[in-house]
Amino acid sequence: MEGESHGNVPHGPNKRSPESPCVKSSGSSNNNHPDNNNKEQDRFLPIANVGRIMKKVIPSNGKISKDAKETVQECVSEFISFVTGEASDKCQREKRKTINGDDIIWAITTLGFEEYVAPLKLYLSKYRDIEGEKLNIPKQQRSEQKQQQQQQQPQQQQSEHEHNLPYNSSVYSSTNLLSHHPSFVPSDQPFSLPFSSNSIQKQLQQQDQIDSMGHW
Amino acid sequence: MRQAGTYSGILSGGISGRTGPHSLPLARIKKIMKKSGEDVKMISGEAPIVFSKACELFIKELTQRSWMVTMQGKRRTLNKEDVTSAVVATDIFDFLVNLVSEDSGNTVDATPLEMDTFTSSS
Repeated sequence: MEGESHGNVPHGPNKRSPESPCVKSSGSSNNNHPDNNNKEQDRFLPIANVGRIMKKVIPSNGKISKDAKETVQECVSEFISFVTGEASDKCQREKRKTINGDDIIWAITTLGFEEYVAPLKLYLSKYRDIEGEKLNIPKQQRSEQKQQQQQQQPQQQQSEHEHNLPYNSSVYSSTNLLSHHPSFVPSDQPFSLPFSSNSIQKQLQQQDQIDSMGHW
Repeated sequence: MRQAGTYSGILSGGISGRTGPHSLPLARIKKIMKKSGEDVKMISGEAPIVFSKACELFIKELTQRSWMVTMQGKRRTLNKEDVTSAVVATDIFDFLVNLVSEDSGNTVDATPLEMDTFTSSS
């Protein structure tokens, strides 16, 4: 799924070298330097992934030029370097050797991207819970299975759905954060209609898997 | 629904570098992090995961702002100049100003006053 596996991008990151910006227009010069190509690819995230994310926030009839995708690609790498630099400085000041997720979140806040912090913390806490689950499987699974049973029993009664909704919505929205922009709440989520028991039953059944794997 | 699959992707994929639910390759993110400085040596497993989400948010914000410029121009294709305009117009994207102006080969005037001075020739 990575961009470099697609051979149909003649003016992709392979051809880019910031030291000589005009290289972009001449397709053959960098073919003699395969090392440069590999290094160039390593400097950026795959253009296919970048393009896919970009498309999510523009209308379906909108288009994105290739050089716009390339520019965003470069900006993302610069963003990563920028934030990592700040996080690394912090670790050095605190005499720690390893940059962890909290350092990244701190650096992002410091550099002005506070809006990202809430969804990132959510994402990170769920990741940590799941990783913790891997290590402590038996006990946590038992306690969650009990919770599952308590949820599933009132499933048939509509009046119970309202009690389940806050729990469902928090889990549901948190799983959405894995694949969706946090401010981009899809409007077709069934839990927004508390009286549609069928859709909520579907959620609860699927959440069997989610709950056993780890919720927070 | 894909949320269940997404979760199982996290469990089985973990930080093994699968794009899975993270949508950006973790190994590549880690490489870019390492290139940012000599001092960057040890990176925890969760750092690339946080970045994969952060980069997604960043790409979305930059794209949304760029698209606004596209719409102002009554166009349907987002081009590089739209991205450049969005970068220039957004304070937190200041660290990108040199990058986007190098790319275009032009020096971008962040101060509109100077441009007015040059264009007021009549």
